[in-house]
Amino acid sequence: MSTVETPVAPSDDAPPLSQLRRLAAFATSQQAILFLVLVAVMCFFDFQNARFFGTSEFGNLIVDFSTAILIAVAEMYVITSGGIDLSVGSTIAFSGVIGAYAMQFLENHHFGEFGSLLVGTIACAGVGALVGLINALLITKARLVPFVATLVTLSMGEGLALVFSKGGTVGYDPGAAVWSATGFWVFTWLSVIVLVITAISGIVLHFTRYGRYNFAIGSNPFAARAAGINVNLHVASVYVLSGVLAGLNGMIWYFQSSGGAPQNGIGLELEAIAAVVIGGVSLTGGVGRFSGIILGVAILTVVHDGLTFINVATTWNEVVVAAFIALAAVLQSLGSGARKRT
Amino acid sequence: MSTEREPILELRNINKSYGSVKALTDVSFKAYAGEVIGLVGDNGAGKSSLIKTISGVHNADSGELFVDGIQRHWKSPHDSMAAGIETLYQDSGLAPDLTIGSNIFLGRELTRNGPLGKFGFLDQKSMERQALEELEKVGITVPLSKRTVSQLSGGQRQAVAIGRAAMWAKHVIILDEPTNHLGARQSLEVLKVIRAARDQGLCVLFISHTLPHVLEVTDRIIVMRLGKVVKDSLTSEYTVESLLGTITGLNT
Repeated sequence: MSTVETPVAPSDDAPPLSQLRRLAAFATSQQAILFLVLVAVMCFFDFQNARFFGTSEFGNLIVDFSTAILIAVAEMYVITSGGIDLSVGSTIAFSGVIGAYAMQFLENHHFGEFGSLLVGTIACAGVGALVGLINALLITKARLVPFVATLVTLSMGEGLALVFSKGGTVGYDPGAAVWSATGFWVFTWLSVIVLVITAISGIVLHFTRYGRYNFAIGSNPFAARAAGINVNLHVASVYVLSGVLAGLNGMIWYFQSSGGAPQNGIGLELEAIAAVVIGGVSLTGGVGRFSGIILGVAILTVVHDGLTFINVATTWNEVVVAAFIALAAVLQSLGSGARKRT
Repeated sequence: MSTEREPILELRNINKSYGSVKALTDVSFKAYAGEVIGLVGDNGAGKSSLIKTISGVHNADSGELFVDGIQRHWKSPHDSMAAGIETLYQDSGLAPDLTIGSNIFLGRELTRNGPLGKFGFLDQKSMERQALEELEKVGITVPLSKRTVSQLSGGQRQAVAIGRAAMWAKHVIILDEPTNHLGARQSLEVLKVIRAARDQGLCVLFISHTLPHVLEVTDRIIVMRLGKVVKDSLTSEYTVESLLGTITGLNT
């Protein structure tokens, strides 16, 4: 055995990519395929009904996208860190009801529309943070697996939303719906705010230390801990972040439905997880691109809206969505087979 | 090893018990910069307890630990890392979904200059470039540091993990079964990196059950049995048979 320094890593099975191969790699990447699927779906609906690309329908798409994206972002953070958050849907209901009470109270005391909306938003985010904190404690202190812990808060949120609202809509507020429809071109102000939050979340996930730790923990928590990362603190923060995003999403539902209703957002955690899966995020953690979930939510939004637009009974919606999830999951498992993970 | 040199790591009469079970009894040895020391013993001989004591996972009940001539008391693994000791455990290793560069800098990320850096924005380019440079120093050439670790072979992965430890350690790297689960050719890659780390002036503690690897790569072998050091001699004084006999206690 000689001690001459020769390259340890054999380069024969791992040649550097040429420009052309890099282009080919991009063209066959998940993001490019997803983008093509999105364009194809939009073109399909446009052929069915020429007005689909019209400005007003495009505006509707953006509003619906904005209503769905925040809990998908929340799920993206949690799932890439190696967990799952089933409570985001019921947090929409719970935070919306509590936020609606807060706003009702303030308006009754002549607080002014803008002030009460601001406090309502903070109340929604606060309720979300509280649910997230309970998740965090159940997972990092009580050592429950994330699925069980967030199943607990899923039921808790649903139940408390019903208890507090007594089953009806709280704080019916048509003014909020009018305000939420204002904006410019195809954007409402509300969707602009949501898109800014989304963009910041994506940048933090892919370009900062916080995002790096998120992927590292999802990929191998033991390695992350050995590298000196405070894994429990990070995991806790991710669930709180997820709760806050779900709470803000509750406020958006308040605008959409002109009040806080206990049925708002129920079951949407599965929709968010579906978008994340379609976006190519690994449910085992550590893998995923933010652009993937943007495309995932966009595809689901276009499918939902498009089917309604071409007058297919909404009952078919979930069946078509199921087909998309199946397709995405199969593509993923084929892809990961090629990547040879161990 | 010459005795007039200052040892980089020295243990004096280290004792450790878990309840009524005595894991380490009066363990003493000296380790010098630029040497690979094999630490061998049967299961339950006290190897793991010893590494945990050196790397700060737990403290000894009694005894003294010196690194670079200074007596140390670890409160956590962070303290030992700060003192220049890097430990590669069997179960820790690397994050397979991150790039090689990201793994090398995990927990020690470089941030950008200026205000963006204050917000934790990463300087990925510098990390990827420096990672390649540092790995080359220990004889590891990876084609692209942008590759994820999952795209590497088992041997390459372990080589990168050791390269990472060698990059950050000032004095000592502790390797717990680094050639476990590796094929023959891949093990050779890993042994080569261990030698390169030694040639850089590091002290390498190599814990392994694979005795041919131990005999091949080490300068000195410390044999433990039932929590005690039973033999501490130059590698040239052992054969596979005599080493096995010393480990099991069937010949002494």
